[in-house]
Amino acid sequence: MRDGKDDAAPRARRRFLKLAGLGTAASGAALLAGSGAAKAAAPAATEAAKGYRVTDHVRRVYDLARF
Amino acid sequence: MIAPEDQGRAYLYRLLARLLAAAPDAATLGLLRGLGGDGSPVGGDLQGLAGAAATAGPGALEREYHDLFIGVGRGELVPFGSWYLAGFLHEKPLAHLRRDLGTLGLGRTAGTKEPEDHVASLCEAMALLIEGKGDLGAQKAFFERHLEGWAPAFFADLERARAARFYAAVGRLGARLMTLERDGFAFVEGVAA
Repeated sequence: MRDGKDDAAPRARRRFLKLAGLGTAASGAALLAGSGAAKAAAPAATEAAKGYRVTDHVRRVYDLARF
Repeated sequence: MIAPEDQGRAYLYRLLARLLAAAPDAATLGLLRGLGGDGSPVGGDLQGLAGAAATAGPGALEREYHDLFIGVGRGELVPFGSWYLAGFLHEKPLAHLRRDLGTLGLGRTAGTKEPEDHVASLCEAMALLIEGKGDLGAQKAFFERHLEGWAPAFFADLERARAARFYAAVGRLGARLMTLERDGFAFVEGVAA
């Protein structure tokens, strides 16, 4: 479903998320969410999450897969 | 144009992805210590994270991360979805995930052998969906298929894990986001899984 402007449900959803702090409080995490340029950071961040920073995990996956 | 609340979701997913892919380094710790709350539930969790970061050093966090997720032979927790869902790795959930990521153009980096269902990779995928690759229906479908069935349990386990100090606060924030996502998506009309 599209995020329609005149649809009550998406508005209610945003209000709910806003009350939980996802609007203001979460914006404080912006600096930690990668570098400022979100678009440029996206592929790099993906590589960081999936790449060899988690090499130990890879080893462990093989250990676990053995049984 | 992305709504501030949705941007906030993406920020939290990226923050979780970053902290779950590797222990935070000194620079990241400095940023974490600067997080402030505002009386909201998410604000309180971020403040808790800042407090946990204030009493932790990079060396201790490396060890904590290792004890939790890597361990000698086996860490305390296995942060892979197929493990939580099926009891072992490389199972059906992983095949479904691979197909869905392919549809979204989110294939894994060439040469990477790690399964895609690591919690950090899934959080990263959600952030990418929120920031432009998928509308709300696509986000909901991905969340329900690949996170809702196990990530809430994973974050709850992380919050209570024996070795968790700093990461208990990460677990709390993750559990919060999972609950908010589930309840938030309840406002969105169902999409066939």
